[in-house]
Amino acid sequence: MITGTAITKTFRQRGGVLGHREVPALRGVDFAIERGGAVCFIGESGCGKTTLGRIIAGLETCDSGEIVIDGTPMSGLSPRRRRPYFRRVQMIHQDPYSALNPTRTIHQTLRAPLALRARQTGRPKPWIDARAEELLALVGIDPGYVLPRYPHQLSGGMRQRVVIARALTMDPEALVADEAVSMIDVSLRLGILALLRRLREQLGVGVLFITHDIATARYIGDESELYVLYRGQVVEHGPTETVINEPVHPYTQSLLSATPVLHGLERPGPDRIVPTEALDERHGDAGCLFARRCPLATERCERDRPVLGHDPAYPTTQRHACFHPRRRQVIPLAAGA
Amino acid sequence: MERHLTAPGVRIRGLTVVYNTPSGELPAVSGVDLTLAPGTITGVVGESGSGKSTLALSMLNAVQPPGRISAGSVEIDGLGDVVRLRGEELRRTRGRKVGYVFQAAQNSLNPLKTIGAQLLDLGRSHDVGDLRALVRDARELLGRMGMDGARVLDSRQHELSGGMRQRVGIMFALVLDARVVVLDEPTTALDMITQATILRIIREVHDERALTTLVITHDVGAVAEVADDLAVMYGGRVVEHGPVAEVLGAPEHPYTRGLIRAIPRLSGDLGLARALPGRPPTLGTLPAAGCVFRERCESSLDLCRTAEPVPAARAGRTVACHLPGPHAVPVKRKEYA
Ligand SMILES: Nc1ncnc2c1ncn2[C@@H]1O[C@H](COP(=O)(O)OP(=O)(O)O)[C@@H](O)[C@H]1O
Ligand SMILES: Nc1ncnc2c1ncn2[C@@H]1O[C@H](COP(=O)(O)OP(=O)(O)O)[C@@H](O)[C@H]1O
Ligand code: SF4
Ligand SMILES: [Mg+2]
Ligand SMILES: [Mg+2]
Repeated sequence: MITGTAITKTFRQRGGVLGHREVPALRGVDFAIERGGAVCFIGESGCGKTTLGRIIAGLETCDSGEIVIDGTPMSGLSPRRRRPYFRRVQMIHQDPYSALNPTRTIHQTLRAPLALRARQTGRPKPWIDARAEELLALVGIDPGYVLPRYPHQLSGGMRQRVVIARALTMDPEALVADEAVSMIDVSLRLGILALLRRLREQLGVGVLFITHDIATARYIGDESELYVLYRGQVVEHGPTETVINEPVHPYTQSLLSATPVLHGLERPGPDRIVPTEALDERHGDAGCLFARRCPLATERCERDRPVLGHDPAYPTTQRHACFHPRRRQVIPLAAGA
Repeated sequence: MERHLTAPGVRIRGLTVVYNTPSGELPAVSGVDLTLAPGTITGVVGESGSGKSTLALSMLNAVQPPGRISAGSVEIDGLGDVVRLRGEELRRTRGRKVGYVFQAAQNSLNPLKTIGAQLLDLGRSHDVGDLRALVRDARELLGRMGMDGARVLDSRQHELSGGMRQRVGIMFALVLDARVVVLDEPTTALDMITQATILRIIREVHDERALTTLVITHDVGAVAEVADDLAVMYGGRVVEHGPVAEVLGAPEHPYTRGLIRAIPRLSGDLGLARALPGRPPTLGTLPAAGCVFRERCESSLDLCRTAEPVPAARAGRTVACHLPGPHAVPVKRKEYA
């Protein structure tokens, strides 16, 4: 189990004439990934998704807050002692093209981490190649075909499967999949999503799935949780199907409304809203972070910051950070219905 | 309806484009007939490698070696056959008569010059008399796409995010007031809200200026809302072409059906969605005879191995498939309920 508590991270950026400016990428984010569980983080670009993924994978440190892996808080450990913990969290990047070394065959790519793994666990040499074949079969590709080939000889979908197989060489407890299907042909995305689902079920691997395409989050398997991130704050959190079908935060509703309607098959949800203004990081920090773009914002929203929780006056399954929660049917309906 | 009087029609006939490869010249686009009705937006969809970008380049007679247009014509009202244009005449056509954003346009800006300087270069090379008006138009277009136009014109490529660059590309395609506009993957890799904003603007500008527009994408969702017509490409052929809601609602070609079933969706039964089996073809792996899709087709006949299906009119559209239509096992609406 991996948990994060009150994770914050602020970047200092060089801002031309304005000198330096501070960009709060994460403003106190809490989450928990159970063994074999799945949590999805969604939001526009620039909302802090990648930063969070990198912190969970140990590729970046947080300014404050705590990451706990299997009961061990990371803050108390030296970077060297942290390493074996973070090895249990493997990151899968968006771009399967640049993730693999173009000068190495897939066999060479898998052999190196497996040799390390064999030393760590005292396994004999022949285990290495057997395991490489086993992992490729597990991710759904023919080892005989793939092993001798170079990355450029494989399709995008196959390459992403190889990247996943490489992540599995470390026997991870969790995978951080950052936009892992965004660069793959739409026709092949469900195949990769089904694979992640299978890894959860068969190996008990936890998945942290980061995406800007909310529809893909539905395919990550049962009992997944959805976190909606806006400018570094979680603004809605609950079971994936609940948040998609009965979203209460206007930002979640904007995101869902932006998903295209497949005319002929679907018609727009009756409450669909059009987001007004593009995200601008220079928007002020007073009040609700979404107030500047929110069609429902009131004076109170401009002044106070809503915190993630429940509203006793409007009971919901999910938690949200909005003063005016209301369920809205924004996702498409079947054309005939 | 006035726009229908002024927007130009485009007729592509028998278009074949070949690339020179180690195994000789192989066709990436094969004998394509495609009519873009004046004043419509046509979406061209298909997996990577299906020939979409090659088709887009042909619309400007801009196929580069090792490729060449080996047969066919691209007739544009008021311009004639673009395939026959040469030299100065061709140069003036590109941008001024046919606006375009090529795939990966986000990386095609000059890194050393500001966007504004590049805009002036473009204006001068097309003998635009009133450069001030050009800058004003550019600022206005950028403003509508949610950006601070003046600031963007003062920026260099590296100061803009991927989404901003993509919008700058679209501005360049529209600013010279071309009447035919070709957009190759204009929203790929953008988040949903940015995509929705860009698509809305494409539609608005298209309507205001009486354009005939071609939008190319591997993601059906990205054109489902914006396009009037949909052309589905596979292995260098247009396999189905018709009104968007009809093609999506009741696809005739087995490839179209598979493509639609593979889209991750916000509503509908998760179990019925699945990735398209098999791999998209490459130039070298296309079958030499019969239907190009037969190896991945779930309903192929003996005939499909020997004879290539000829595009024929049926069910209010054009379909290239040997199966008798309307298809015996139509996609049940229920699948998407
Ligand atoms: N290394 C960095 N240096 C400075 N700013 C950064 C850095 N990484 C991310 N940021 C900023 O932090 C914010 C969140 O970025 P990111 O985590 O990449 O968001 P997302 O993955 O949701 O698009 C953005 O404003 C981004 O510009
Ligand atoms: N410069 C080139 N040299 C050789 N083959 C090419 C070249 N450009 C494209 N192709 C091949 O032509 C086919 C169609 O490519 P393209 O038009 O880019 O398809 P799409 O845009 O649908 O992905 C692909 O098989 C691709 O590999
Ligand atoms: S708190 Fe106010 S501004 Fe923020 S999302 Fe809710 S209604 Fe909109
Ligand atoms: Mg990111
Ligand atoms: Mg292309």
